[in-house]
Amino acid sequence: MGDLLSGDDEDYYYSDQESLDGLDNEESCLQPLSSKANTAKVITKESLLAAQREDLRRVMELLSIKEHHARTLLIHYRWDVENLFAVLVEKGKDSLFSSAGLAVVENQRCGASSFSHSSVMSCDICIEDVPGNQMTRMDCGHCFCNTCWAGHFTVKINEGQSKRIRCMAHKCNSICDEDVVKTLVSKSQPHLAEKFDRFLLESYIEDNKMVKWCPSTPHCGSAIRVEDDELCEVECSCGFQFCFSCSSQAHSPCSCLMWELWKKKCQDESETVNWITVHTKPCPKCYKPVEKNGGCNLVTCICGQSFCWLCGGATGRDHTWSSIAGHSCGRYQEDKEKQMERAKRDLYRYMHYHNRYKAHIDSAKLEDKLSDTIREKVSISEKRQLQLKDFSWVTNGLHRLIRSRRVLSYSYPFAFYMFGEELFKDEMSSEEREIKQNLFEDQQQQLEANVEKLSKFLEEPFDQFADEKVMEIRIQIINLSVAVDTLCKKMYECIENDLLGSLQLGIHNIAPYRSKGIERASDFYSSRNSEEPVGELCQPSDCGTSGWTSGFDQALGSANSEETSCSSRKRPRKDGSYSNTQTSLLDLNLPAEVTERK
Amino acid sequence: MIDFSRVQKELQDCEKDKDASNIRVCPKSDNLTRLTGTIPGPIGTPYEGGTFQIDITIPEGYPFEPPKMQFSTKVWHPNISSQSGAICLDVLKDQWSPALTLKTALVSIQALLSAPEPKDPQDAVVAEQYIKSYQVFVSTARYWTETFAKNSSIEEKVKRLVEMGFGDAQVRSAIESSGGDENMALEKLCSG
Ligand SMILES: [Zn+2]
Ligand SMILES: [Zn+2]
Ligand SMILES: [Zn+2]
Ligand SMILES: [Zn+2]
Ligand SMILES: [Zn+2]
Ligand SMILES: [Zn+2]
Ligand SMILES: [Zn+2]
Repeated sequence: MGDLLSGDDEDYYYSDQESLDGLDNEESCLQPLSSKANTAKVITKESLLAAQREDLRRVMELLSIKEHHARTLLIHYRWDVENLFAVLVEKGKDSLFSSAGLAVVENQRCGASSFSHSSVMSCDICIEDVPGNQMTRMDCGHCFCNTCWAGHFTVKINEGQSKRIRCMAHKCNSICDEDVVKTLVSKSQPHLAEKFDRFLLESYIEDNKMVKWCPSTPHCGSAIRVEDDELCEVECSCGFQFCFSCSSQAHSPCSCLMWELWKKKCQDESETVNWITVHTKPCPKCYKPVEKNGGCNLVTCICGQSFCWLCGGATGRDHTWSSIAGHSCGRYQEDKEKQMERAKRDLYRYMHYHNRYKAHIDSAKLEDKLSDTIREKVSISEKRQLQLKDFSWVTNGLHRLIRSRRVLSYSYPFAFYMFGEELFKDEMSSEEREIKQNLFEDQQQQLEANVEKLSKFLEEPFDQFADEKVMEIRIQIINLSVAVDTLCKKMYECIENDLLGSLQLGIHNIAPYRSKGIERASDFYSSRNSEEPVGELCQPSDCGTSGWTSGFDQALGSANSEETSCSSRKRPRKDGSYSNTQTSLLDLNLPAEVTERK
Repeated sequence: MIDFSRVQKELQDCEKDKDASNIRVCPKSDNLTRLTGTIPGPIGTPYEGGTFQIDITIPEGYPFEPPKMQFSTKVWHPNISSQSGAICLDVLKDQWSPALTLKTALVSIQALLSAPEPKDPQDAVVAEQYIKSYQVFVSTARYWTETFAKNSSIEEKVKRLVEMGFGDAQVRSAIESSGGDENMALEKLCSG
């Protein structure tokens, strides 16, 4: 066994019993499965309307208001239903409504109230006399002619402010009834009415802090909704894994800020340019870059020209170690040399971290391909007449490998900034920094050693081995799987408690570590009754809000969080109350010593 | 596309009470897309006595989009660019409502002259002067009013002094050397 585990193997088995259980009870598919906290949902173009309705319904029911009023409230409160309810409890209904620009009188038939043909009214906008039936009064009481309202809505929708169109009256903060907007606009400009509808729908994504577009390029068209914590990493149904906080590729344990800086640094070719300036100088005669080799400051270009490395000036060839004949370049050179030394040091430091980061990213890519090979090896092994029938330890080991490899990769940009001067220069003394760096690098090295070992064992042709040898490899892989998981957890703890915890800067968002890998967002519908008429869901452009059938409403009415959490609980998991088959399955995969002790 | 009948009505409306409000709107071109607004400097401010001209452009979406307005008379004011005459005023931007008119917008501009908001400046130099040395600001603003916003009345001053029996060229140089001050110019003319 590895040097890390020697001596206290038992500790690992026991302290990590839970993660080991999880390891064996995951279904043996190669996709990392999410844990019971599976709350992220994929919202597609098709399910967007239904996702919105869930929140609309809660608000409509509680306040007994119409849908468009509920939407106006929710847009104002950024679709944060809990916050909306909190404001209601704290400040009351009137304040809740007025802050959102809603002038609602309960149960009143609101919206367009029309006047009779015969009455002629004056519109204050166009300053014309208009028949009463061509005037529309909004909920706030302001009344103007339909042509003017339509003109106002057109300008606002084209400006892109269409989610909340204010009344035309000066200083009236009331938001116009979306049904009136749609009706009046669609008469003359149906495409604008559609655009308005789309804006309303997409508000659920764009104004909602718990929902984000999947950042994949080309865009897959989906959005992800998370439940409790925005600080997490998710995998979209398109396969793209991203950081929910900053919408770039998943990068934990590197913080969002560090990742942003690192990305720029890697893109920036100035490092390469720096390298050239540090290592080469243009020849004063032919301008080719010339590299210095050896300690002497007189360099000679292939064109035959000699020049001084320090100042770049052309010289003769006669020189000693310390001087070149007929040439002196003064103090200026010393500063320049110091500057160069510094650039060189910075560059080497960056290259040190970047090379390791890159190496692990490359390994991760190779290990992704390993999935297919392993699947094959498992299916061959399953057909063989072996004592061992269950091979979930292989696939689970692979998941752990992929997961810990990611952690390891991103731990390098983290370390680059954590122990560099860019972010925390004044936050730590150099002694403090050194202690922290040693602590972290020690953990990083342990993780690295175990990850490489795990990788090596997983590559073994176990499908060709005899029973005994397979069992041996199995134990190694299980132990190493547990070890890398524990080490990852420890590294996150170290980052949280020992490294960032003591610092003042609180802007470092790091998505927490999950043994099972990045959560795969489930389809918005998958959490519900499968009989739900998914196929019948009308497209936003095909129907207005009125197009909703009551059947669908009912289907949604029963859909709630209970069901959501229920379906994920259905997945077999070790909860202490397991059936015999599962228990024996578990035992089969435990290291021999542990099984015996039981 | 532009609702000219509304602009036309607004012009008639303005014409009706131009004596009461002293605010005028005159078309610059035949098609009513470009107009000139005129407002008097508010009493009790460094702009008092000046007459300020504002260039108005009617956009396509008027009155659902705000009219574009900027001073053509040079003004020293924290919310008005001393270079371009651009105005920083909410009713000309997001607080515009179709229920407002050219005249109400001009009234708002007049109100802005009375009550500068140096914390939301259009001209940082003026705003800084307003906050740090208010007296200097007042005299600069007054000087600009005198120099740029009273140009039209110079002719009137010339006319009055010429009527008193002085020669036209003499009167003009006296007014110029006394910084536009009619009384001072008269004293000069009498003494010299
Ligand atoms: Zn209103
Ligand atoms: Zn009208
Ligand atoms: Zn996606
Ligand atoms: Zn991030
Ligand atoms: Zn050369
Ligand atoms: Zn040499
Ligand atoms: Zn030299």
